[in-house]
Amino acid sequence: MKAKEVVGLLVTIVALVLLLYGLFYVNLTRGGIGVKGQVATDAILVAAGFLLILLGPWLWLGEVPVAVRKFIEARTGRKIEEVKR
Amino acid sequence: MISVYAILIALIVLVIYIAAYMLHGKALLERRVVKADPSRLTPAWEKFDGVDYVPANKYVLYGHHFASIAGAGPIIGPATALAWGWLLPLIWVLFGNIFIGAVHDYTSIMASVRYGGISVMTISENVMGRKARYIFLAYVYFALILVLAAFLSVASSTFAVLAPTAATVAIIYMPLALLFGILVYKVGLSVKKATLIALVLMVLALIYSLNAPTYLTYEGWLVVLSLYSILAAALPVWYLLQPRDYLNAYLLWSFVTLAVIAPFFLVPTLTVTGPAIRSFAATGGVIGAVGAPSKWEIAWFWPTVPLVIACGALSGFHSLVGSGTTSKQLSNELDALFVGYGGMLTEGAVSSLAVILPGALVWDFAKAAAALGVSTDLIYKAGINLTATPTILEFAGAARFYTAYGFAQALAWSRVVGVEAFPSLYKGFYAFAAWALTSFVLTTLDTCNRLARFAWTEFFDWLKPRAPGAYKVICNRWVASIIPVLLGALMAYPRLPDPADPTKIIYAYMLVWPAFSGTNQLLAALALLTTTLWVYAILKVRGGPAMLMLVPALFLWVTVTAALIIWLALIVPYLPALYISTAGVIVAISVALDFALIVLFVRGLLLARRAT
Repeated sequence: MKAKEVVGLLVTIVALVLLLYGLFYVNLTRGGIGVKGQVATDAILVAAGFLLILLGPWLWLGEVPVAVRKFIEARTGRKIEEVKR
Repeated sequence: MISVYAILIALIVLVIYIAAYMLHGKALLERRVVKADPSRLTPAWEKFDGVDYVPANKYVLYGHHFASIAGAGPIIGPATALAWGWLLPLIWVLFGNIFIGAVHDYTSIMASVRYGGISVMTISENVMGRKARYIFLAYVYFALILVLAAFLSVASSTFAVLAPTAATVAIIYMPLALLFGILVYKVGLSVKKATLIALVLMVLALIYSLNAPTYLTYEGWLVVLSLYSILAAALPVWYLLQPRDYLNAYLLWSFVTLAVIAPFFLVPTLTVTGPAIRSFAATGGVIGAVGAPSKWEIAWFWPTVPLVIACGALSGFHSLVGSGTTSKQLSNELDALFVGYGGMLTEGAVSSLAVILPGALVWDFAKAAAALGVSTDLIYKAGINLTATPTILEFAGAARFYTAYGFAQALAWSRVVGVEAFPSLYKGFYAFAAWALTSFVLTTLDTCNRLARFAWTEFFDWLKPRAPGAYKVICNRWVASIIPVLLGALMAYPRLPDPADPTKIIYAYMLVWPAFSGTNQLLAALALLTTTLWVYAILKVRGGPAMLMLVPALFLWVTVTAALIIWLALIVPYLPALYISTAGVIVAISVALDFALIVLFVRGLLLARRAT
């Protein structure tokens, strides 16, 4: 595993923990996430989870799926280079 | 008064759409005008980069195109246009949708595909010259920033104030879309199985969110959604955009299907309770007038209707999506008709079948409810006060749509489950309508930022051969995604007293927003003129098929220009100074630009005629 993939995996785990904490623990115990009209800590954590989940799997799993790349290469006959993140 | 059965109108609308797709779309545009060729490699294959140029399944791309072009336009506009009655807006949606909107969507995609995936603005250079291209690009870039500001603000307000449960849906929905993409692309699960898993989870998420609000302030959501827009616009399309929009299409289809099935087919004896034509001239407030002109009857149906109904009939933004994100993902030229023309017809169906017809049906709440034995007491329990709001016209914009949709659905389903359930059914469908609108808005938000990134990159292409290093930095996809969002957020953040009514607080972008509907429709006319010229000058199409594009294009240009001149002459002089120096100036510049571009168009047309 490359360093960026490890970082991606860690970010994904953190994001999932934040989302599950907010959506299940906080919501089920308090009947909602955050406080109306305020910026509460649990709402910030869930919002962070929402943004991190967009980044984590992308860093972890790579830019172009191998299957897609091979398919394109077979049809066009040209070699696809990995785009820098 | 003659009773008009709602089901009859719904069937006529559906038949018109099917006939339009087969005859106007397939037989004329695809086969005789564009001559789509499945053997030609599209830019998605030829320029594949794994980020923006990625071939997509046609159903996935249809979902993307439909969800991106939809925004709030096909809903708020037709709901507002009910001020003319229900028939005139319906006629405009059908006419505009088929002869203008679906044409500019389809031809923008195809022209872009034939030019390697570039935008309709850059294509204009080939038919109208280099000046037209840069004027067009700059104009579009600032229009996109304005859309970003408006949609960041609308989504933040919805999440913070109107529907905190919709925020929870969005938070759960994104990871679900990612999961779907990973299951298909990484795990190798079939699309059918992955769809089934994702849809089941989506339904559970919707049910769970009903009692799970997420509270954050307007400013908090503005920051979160700005960061979301940057990420979503820079990340590869296969990773988030394609799976999310594919799943979105299911939500949107359920929304339209329910709109058609429930009130029209479940209770086929229902008749509309609203007037077919209320007036040919609505009050100026409908087209954004303030002060005295807001009460004058100056909003003549023609030519001002495009200032009210945008996306449901036609919109410049669509051409940007078609020649921006959609053309870069088109896998086969034959898919373009379904994606572009079909996507636009579906959007028209949202306006006609999910907004205008439910509005016509439940216009007079008491009358509509009485037809099915729902008492005024039950209507009151649902939260509608018949004394204060006897008809849907008492509601404004989005609330008019939520109420009409929720009421029509609740009426129909209460027939099945019992009238006592009317209040809870109404509340449930009201929330569902709000979710549908939010999902349209969120999708448009990041597509808009991606389009701004493309426009930015195309604008600086002259720098590439001269200073490749500088070009690389300026056009880096992260840099190019951050700039428009920052500018948009800066316009969506500051609050100030409304110059027209100092007791009201507005956001800064609202000073220029009144100019947007006109400039967006002007953009539609310019985009259609550009693709018409492409068809005429490059594809050498002549005779009837060419006229079927040229006549609507010129009609639209005349209509929008006349509407903007009315706006400048009758509305702008009565606006407060701050509005005149912002929205007024933008409209004046747009009209000047409009005349400059029509001159370039006519010159291009004459040159093409001489060349043959």
